[in-house]
Amino acid sequence: MDEKTEEKSGPQSLLEAWMKTSTDFWKSMTRSATAPPQTAAAPGSADAMSRRGTLDTWRSSVKTWQSFSSLAIEPESLEGMFKGVNALPDIMVKMMQPAWNGFFSLQQEWLKAAGRAGRSAAAYNFENLDQEAFKAFTDLYEKEFRQYLNVPALGLTRVYQERLNQAADRFNIFQAAISEFVSMLYLPVEKSMKVMQEELTSMADRGSLPQTSKDYYRMWVKTLEGHYMTLFKSSEYNEALGKTLKTLSEFVVARREILQDALQALPVPTQKDMDELYKEIYLLKKRVKELEKKNRPPIY
Amino acid sequence: MGKPKIPVDLLLSKLAEDVEKAQTTAQKAADVLLQPLDTAIATTPYDVVYEEDRVKLKHYAPAAASRFKTPLLVVYALINRETMLDLQPGRSVVQTFLKEGLDVYMIDWGYPTRKDKYLTIDDHVNGYMDNIIDFIRDRHHLDKINLMGICMGGTFCVIYSALHPERIRNLITTVTPTNFDTKQGLLHIWMKHMDVDRLVDSLGNMPGDIMNFGFLLLNPARLMLDKYVGFLEHMDNKSFVENFVRMEKWIFDSPDVPGETFRQFIKDLYQKNLLIKSELVVGGKRVDLKNLTMPLLNFYGSFDHLVPPGACELLTGKVGSTDTEDVCLDTGHIGIYVSSKCQREFAPKIVNWLRERDGEAQNPEAA
Repeated sequence: MDEKTEEKSGPQSLLEAWMKTSTDFWKSMTRSATAPPQTAAAPGSADAMSRRGTLDTWRSSVKTWQSFSSLAIEPESLEGMFKGVNALPDIMVKMMQPAWNGFFSLQQEWLKAAGRAGRSAAAYNFENLDQEAFKAFTDLYEKEFRQYLNVPALGLTRVYQERLNQAADRFNIFQAAISEFVSMLYLPVEKSMKVMQEELTSMADRGSLPQTSKDYYRMWVKTLEGHYMTLFKSSEYNEALGKTLKTLSEFVVARREILQDALQALPVPTQKDMDELYKEIYLLKKRVKELEKKNRPPIY
Repeated sequence: MGKPKIPVDLLLSKLAEDVEKAQTTAQKAADVLLQPLDTAIATTPYDVVYEEDRVKLKHYAPAAASRFKTPLLVVYALINRETMLDLQPGRSVVQTFLKEGLDVYMIDWGYPTRKDKYLTIDDHVNGYMDNIIDFIRDRHHLDKINLMGICMGGTFCVIYSALHPERIRNLITTVTPTNFDTKQGLLHIWMKHMDVDRLVDSLGNMPGDIMNFGFLLLNPARLMLDKYVGFLEHMDNKSFVENFVRMEKWIFDSPDVPGETFRQFIKDLYQKNLLIKSELVVGGKRVDLKNLTMPLLNFYGSFDHLVPPGACELLTGKVGSTDTEDVCLDTGHIGIYVSSKCQREFAPKIVNWLRERDGEAQNPEAA
């Protein structure tokens, strides 16, 4: 086997063979398509004109394919193509690496949180809330994914694209905030269960367990109420509440902009249009009422 | 063998009893819930005598000839509905007033829509309230009327009375927040940190549903859980079910609050506490509590978690009037109007207080 044959072994030779076969196939297809039909249409007729147009299109497509395949079969072109294909895995790895790293760090946080769940929580204590998992998710999103939504858009529809991206971004931030808020609301339930367990254990030791399910329930509800009161006064809760409302407002504004863009294509007024009208009507009415009051005779 | 620390057998037998009881209750409850129930609220007849935009003025004719010279205008809050004052027969502040011969007017603030988002406190107080008070004065040929406010409506009444003392004969405030610098209530803690500008700019009006949820969060254990456990325990009692459903109808009937009103209420009152300091500006005029010179009766509830005593009790010390009285009832924010115990204290106290300061009617027939 000589050098040229060696070089052509493997994927290269397969590709070459495939290109040759497909070129021959299309050649034979074209020949049979362009062969005069059994029942030929009369020259100059509409049918003949359309057949000629179709044939011309076929011929130019096949010629383009022929010239492309003859170029592609050349060793230099094939080599370039395969170099590009071989580089693909590296590119994919480079793209996925930050995402994988972020995911693994998040997983580590989850495992740490699971480990911490085993420790007993002090009753009525919300200072050391386990919000690290949510913080890790938010950090991951802000560092790794958000940047893609902030890439400047190009072209005629760039403004709309940017608004869509912004709405998606705001939605994700809002989802994170509300998840954190809702999980915080569940904390008193967990803590009250734990406190109940400890309380019942000590009551059992003293031999003074409640007699009825109603008594158990009343104990638990009172404990739960106390935990909620403590949570609601904590700075962590206020921060989470403030963050949730802030991200909700931002998402609502971003969503409204998209809807307004969509409505502008339809023959309906947008909320912005109506708000402008309402403001004008409000100011006009206020002025009229003031003038009416000035001109009204005194009542008493 | 000693006595077991955990009497499992006793617990199990009690549990079995409870399950049997629950089954019986459930069977009876099905009969109750499937039959016609009387859950209508605000059934006392009235006429709508004045309308302006979404606002209506309801007039309740007295049951007997009016024995009071001066009619009473009741101003409810913008949150929830004034129907609470006429929740059901036997627990209706309106009916108690009418039985005693009071001529009662009540503002129905209606349901704000997006077009109302620009309305401010000035529009409500110096606009709607002022026009309504002028209407009543004109109708009865009087220079002054009696004014009663509930919660945020009471705050509006205080502002109005300080700006227009010449039009108000007697002022009654009930569960009315005037001092917002207190940590007694969760609302006061939460509102201090609220970015109200962002909220109003994005939402327009403050949605009633969000406010409802916020109020439920004040005590989720009781308001979202225990309340319904209590319902399940008593749902075989028709009267209980009817009362419960009436209260549910009212409590979740929550109109939106106009955005600009909400913005100013939170910023100037909850956050800067300007009213009690006589620094609040409404319609370009400073609200000076020293101008509030008419007799003042101030009710509040010792267990009110929405408007705690600390938010109400300073008012009488800040006004210019020398005839003031604080009444603290052992009840909560709503209980002051609907609890059967308070029905015997609250409305009769108001009637007697007004009677002492009003005199009998010369001409009982209103215009």
